[in-house]
Amino acid sequence: MFAAAASWLEKSSAEIDALNVFPVPDGDTGTNMMLTMRSTMEEAYRAPDHSASGVAQAMARGALMGARGNSGVILSQIWRGLADGLKGKETFTAADLAGALKESAAIAYKGVSNPVEGTMLTVMNDAAAAARNEVAGGNDDIIAVLEVTVSAAATSVERTPSLLKVLKDAGVVDAGGQGLYTILEGALRFLKGETELMRLRKPQIIVSDLPYTASLPQTVGVDEVPYGYCTEFLLKGEKLEPEVIRKRLEKKGESLIVVGDEAAVRIHIHTLDPGAVMRFVTHLGTMHQVSVRNMDEQHQDFLEMQKERMPTTDTAVIAVACGDGLVDIFGSLGAVAVVPGGQTMNPSTKDILQAVESTYSDKVIILPNNKNIIASAEQVQALTEKKIKVVPTRSIPQGVVALLAFDYEADFKANAEIMEQALASVKTIEVTRSVRATKINGLKIKRKQPIGLLDGELIAVGDTNPEVIDHLLSRLELEKAEVITIYYGEDTDPAEAEQIGADITGRYAQLQLEVIRGGQPHYSYIISVE
Amino acid sequence: MAVKIVTDTLSDITSDLADKLGVTVVPLYVRFGEKIYRDRVEITSEEFYRRLVSESTLPSTTQPTPHDFIEVYERLARETDEILVIVVSSKLSGTYSSAMQARQTISGKCRIEVIDSLTVAMGEGLITIAAAKAVKAGANLDEAADLTRRAATRSHLVAYFDTLKYLAKGGRIGKAQGLLGSMLSVKPILTVREGEMAPMTRVRSLNAGLDYLYNFAAGFSKIEGLALEHATTPDVADQLVERLGAIVPKKSIYRSVISPVIGTYSGPNALALTVLEAEK
Repeated sequence: MFAAAASWLEKSSAEIDALNVFPVPDGDTGTNMMLTMRSTMEEAYRAPDHSASGVAQAMARGALMGARGNSGVILSQIWRGLADGLKGKETFTAADLAGALKESAAIAYKGVSNPVEGTMLTVMNDAAAAARNEVAGGNDDIIAVLEVTVSAAATSVERTPSLLKVLKDAGVVDAGGQGLYTILEGALRFLKGETELMRLRKPQIIVSDLPYTASLPQTVGVDEVPYGYCTEFLLKGEKLEPEVIRKRLEKKGESLIVVGDEAAVRIHIHTLDPGAVMRFVTHLGTMHQVSVRNMDEQHQDFLEMQKERMPTTDTAVIAVACGDGLVDIFGSLGAVAVVPGGQTMNPSTKDILQAVESTYSDKVIILPNNKNIIASAEQVQALTEKKIKVVPTRSIPQGVVALLAFDYEADFKANAEIMEQALASVKTIEVTRSVRATKINGLKIKRKQPIGLLDGELIAVGDTNPEVIDHLLSRLELEKAEVITIYYGEDTDPAEAEQIGADITGRYAQLQLEVIRGGQPHYSYIISVE
Repeated sequence: MAVKIVTDTLSDITSDLADKLGVTVVPLYVRFGEKIYRDRVEITSEEFYRRLVSESTLPSTTQPTPHDFIEVYERLARETDEILVIVVSSKLSGTYSSAMQARQTISGKCRIEVIDSLTVAMGEGLITIAAAKAVKAGANLDEAADLTRRAATRSHLVAYFDTLKYLAKGGRIGKAQGLLGSMLSVKPILTVREGEMAPMTRVRSLNAGLDYLYNFAAGFSKIEGLALEHATTPDVADQLVERLGAIVPKKSIYRSVISPVIGTYSGPNALALTVLEAEK
């Protein structure tokens, strides 16, 4: 059963590698788990008898001896828990399995000095809890219980990005969690007699529906913080004390895992000084299977691998925007970097240049999204070797339609043209407050009164935001519009925004309307009418 | 003896047309829970889409078994000694491998050629239709196979999806992954590039999507064949056909329905347009 699970995992190890962003985005989780499972199964076949207990003990031993990487070591603890839970059992029932899985989750948490949720630990815990519930509910059919367990694991994997921000930012689920789910699912399929199906198919990678966001330019560039060395080895000796060793190593690095027993302890740590770690342990016993890898190199390989997963376009798009919501929106639509800036806080040419240089692409399209930033954006070409096109977007809505129109099949020059053509399809409404009393365009404006601009021209004033917006919308042919998007500002009441949206939908049922937090300063509303 | 043509249900060739052209269509399988149906044979498109949107568990799909192909090969081998098999992209389905495995078990003097169309739906359908016409006009296996391979490079599929949800959950998202996760509601426009799903662009409304499909077709100077398929919205597709009449005669446009197996990934409301570009 677990052999089937192992080969099932092998089929998807490359996909799992590609998900790996935590704790270090080096893209080896799938491979590490696969190699750990191999060692686990080699030992399982050498088990002294065929009792559940004997095989599980052998698996736990094999996993500890062959554990690789963070995920591998945690996996070895899961098998250790299973072995403890099944100790002395010839065969096992659904209840035994549920009990053993609980043990697995407990031991896995214990092995990690700093457990983080949203990882395979969470998945193990959720899966074990589901198994326990099902058994407590009176189900004693092992396949049915495992089915519930696997489905809980899947749900848990899907949930990982909402628990761990780095996953959410990368738009992936946790790689270790996915690996664990795949192993459990493989075991289930085996029990259900689907071996033929497994030969023909590949495991499914869980996709989370959560929106993800691109990183800001400061994180897109070359990483300043080095990841150091991933150091791991098996320490053999007598009367080893894993707890004591863990305490001693805790300050020497990150992602520390110390697991094992008196005779053998597996140690995994991300450290800037592997020498110090080794000097310490050589006093205690002998080191085996020593592996020290430079994680910064691994990270580079990972970035290369990520590139292959992305669409085959060589053009990068950079946008200027301000407000957490707007930054996330541009990121989610594929901008590789967002330069902070907008009205009253125009970024310098140097700021934009920095973002341009931080992208991996040689061809960059810039969306200034403000008429006062277009000129600075156009200066960038003179300062870089890269090819630059500025699509003169004068507002956030123009920037969004331009980015949406990006054609993955078109080349650099054609894309700049396609994006520029798209600008005509959108009208921009902006609502802000006047900074002083004045008279413009025949409008008498008091200080701090809401004022409204249509495509940059001040044409409305009123006492409330809804009044101003109403006036502006009356200037447009809404019967012909299809999509209205309302981005409300950082100081705007979301309830007011929702109410404005509901009023529009009430009057124009054919319109597709979205109300989204833009989080922009100064402008209580930016509204796009397409 | 005339060459016999075999394709799979993903080519979306209607059964009437298949009969008329003498094409044998091998069904894939679609599974709802424990029940497995032969694509378009045991489950109609209408029934399928109704269940796709109403049931809580999503369907899954399976390629034909080698045995399915063996049966077809053996039956056809009684009437001919040359069979041309045109199947869905091997990067989207294991159908190609089943067709190849089956080929190895057929001994005797019947020659079988299996071609990976590197595309799907009417992208695959228009190629198959072209091959069938060539065979009717007297082409032998080598000529028909050569024509098919050349046609495959001129077959351009572009699809409007209402959502990427089904494609993502079904694990066939390929390079369209980059379109996932948008915070605004957008409708992806996709194509098949080198046998895999790939992004073209995004639109925010159905009308913008229809404009995109129309402009895509209008961008070709010489069109040999044009096909339009819908999942659940025949009226919308018919309106687009009216517009496309400005490019090619309306009657020459193949109308079809996106088969259940593809619908598992496209979801409801999808539209697919295929242009078979004329040979230069």
